[in-house]
Amino acid sequence: MIGPVVGIIANPVSARDIRRVISHAGCLQITDRASIVLRVLAGLAASGVREVVMMPDRSGLRGYLTRAMTRAENAGEARFPELRFLDMKVSGQSADSANAARQMRKMDVAAIIVLGGDGTHRIVVAECGNVPIAGISTGTNNAFPETREPTVTGLAVGLAVTGAVPSAAAFADNKRLEVTINDRHEIALVDVAIVRDRFVGSRAIWKADSFTELFVAFAEPTSIGMSSIVGLLAPVTRSAPYGRRVIFERPETAPFRLCAPIAPGLMQKVGVQRVETIRLHTPMTPAAPAGSLAFDGEREVTFSHEDEVRIILSDAAFRTIDVSACMAHAATKGRFVEADGALSVFNRQLGG
Amino acid sequence: MSNNPFPLSKEKLLEAYRMMRTIREFEERLHVDFARGDIPGFVHLYAGEEAVATGIMMHLNDRDRIASTHRGHGHCIAKGVDVKEMMAEIYGKATGACRGKGGSMHIANLSKGMMGANGILGAGAPLICGAALAAQKLGHGGVGVSFVGDGGSNQGTFLESLNLASVWNLPAIFVVENNGYAESTSVEWAVAGDSYVDRATGFGMPGVSVDGTDFFAVYEAIGEIVKRAREGGGPSLIECKTVRFHGHFEGDAQTYRGKGELEDIRANKDCIKIFRNRVRDAGVVSDAEFDKIDKAVVALIEEAVVEAKAAPLPKAGELLTDVYVAY
Repeated sequence: MIGPVVGIIANPVSARDIRRVISHAGCLQITDRASIVLRVLAGLAASGVREVVMMPDRSGLRGYLTRAMTRAENAGEARFPELRFLDMKVSGQSADSANAARQMRKMDVAAIIVLGGDGTHRIVVAECGNVPIAGISTGTNNAFPETREPTVTGLAVGLAVTGAVPSAAAFADNKRLEVTINDRHEIALVDVAIVRDRFVGSRAIWKADSFTELFVAFAEPTSIGMSSIVGLLAPVTRSAPYGRRVIFERPETAPFRLCAPIAPGLMQKVGVQRVETIRLHTPMTPAAPAGSLAFDGEREVTFSHEDEVRIILSDAAFRTIDVSACMAHAATKGRFVEADGALSVFNRQLGG
Repeated sequence: MSNNPFPLSKEKLLEAYRMMRTIREFEERLHVDFARGDIPGFVHLYAGEEAVATGIMMHLNDRDRIASTHRGHGHCIAKGVDVKEMMAEIYGKATGACRGKGGSMHIANLSKGMMGANGILGAGAPLICGAALAAQKLGHGGVGVSFVGDGGSNQGTFLESLNLASVWNLPAIFVVENNGYAESTSVEWAVAGDSYVDRATGFGMPGVSVDGTDFFAVYEAIGEIVKRAREGGGPSLIECKTVRFHGHFEGDAQTYRGKGELEDIRANKDCIKIFRNRVRDAGVVSDAEFDKIDKAVVALIEEAVVEAKAAPLPKAGELLTDVYVAY
């Protein structure tokens, strides 16, 4: 072992659903994903990480990464940490991300960097336990992972796991929604939407007339996806000790209506009957007797009046790396500054 | 409809089930009859992939044209080609859809918009560009749908067609039926980038990927894609991740498959089983109603085989007739 090991789970097939046709959602090509990983690796190396373990895939990522890293090695450049791949069977399904997160947790990696949208992050968080994650947006809805240059995320993760930034500043606790359907347990990092459709179909949700109810762990005014509805009505920060619940009604009869970006490029008018604040650790039951549960924007489970569905908002449920705080700390301490003599950090920051 | 949580009426759900069951029964019967030596030529069976053809074709009408592949029986049946004429064609009989001269890989019926199964990999895509161009020029709102397998998608004709369709903003839809194997070669070893969606993006059109074993996933996604094409939004690509229950061709020993793979996909990825369970569990259609369809379908295929066997062969004097088709 040569210092902390960082894990990378890069979903090669996120951002592939019907929202590309419906609303012009983006499509990140596999070569772009490989480039993102290489930029993350460069950032990690620059902040002192020497070893990285990654989820294998069969979509070409490994080939592109190996090509770039071999070239760097041939050129004598020490730009990247040592990279190895988990020994696991690749299915090409979301189970790969879950399996990789489980293995990384067992290996006790210092952090996991996740490339994906809200759905991928949800899958990783369900399995990573107390291992902190850092998200990079490569999905369709990216309400949970922040949009940021991956090099900087790599730098910040390196600073956090090598101890260059104190834990209190480097890591943040997060809320999440815990959902049980009879004996099945699911989670959502941002929102749980209840829709009338009782089939999973193409998973994405975009038809406002099918919405019946929404639960959010947090909702920012700048958010995209279902949580934007709350973000534009009654925002909730990621750290606030409560969440929100929205009961929808047909726009024609609802007390008020709202137009919100429920998917990239898709503004939809929704009718809202009421918005409630939900407390931590308090079980709630959907008002609708049947429908589908969409976690972080994707239909996953159908239910009927015979099923017992419970939704609970929990706090301190998983940890993330606070990239902004890490970089701010590094800047304050002059972590990346090389200077002759004994210039104070203050002087350096002023260019003195 | 108030208790029906699906995007189709009960009648349409039953129609979808009947369509998928007809394709399955047709193919499973061919599997048996081919092994017995009753059928001339080659057959490539579509069993396992029924949700793709059915989910797509339920959005099309006779004016919409499709171009199929070597694995085309499912496309033909779902597009409305007569099952008895198809069976007779595969048996090489004069009563067949192409008078017994086309066989499995050239079944066509232009009145149904079925431009033909095709023995040449990747050859359907350029045909569909032509059909889509005609629809665009005639302004009747028709679309062209090209099917290709994961292997055929590597053909230059397919990639050139993506380019042409995008350049001319054609109402063309490219369906990649990814069953995991190009004959015996896994997609893992044969597709650079390994993403058909990426290829669509490279040619300036949206691409989506769906679970092809889930009828509702295919139906819902293709509905949006067809709508886009009809409204002048241009071409799209859809990858349907599916499975095939039989070999590439009948007689294929399938040594390239993993241990237990076939048993697993038959048990867990059978699109008809998934559809039936979901619709029954929602209380929309009963097992008895499904069983009735099963029985009718078995009887239909049996009749088709009996009639095909009893039908005459084409006469020697007709050797050169009906060989070429004027579009």
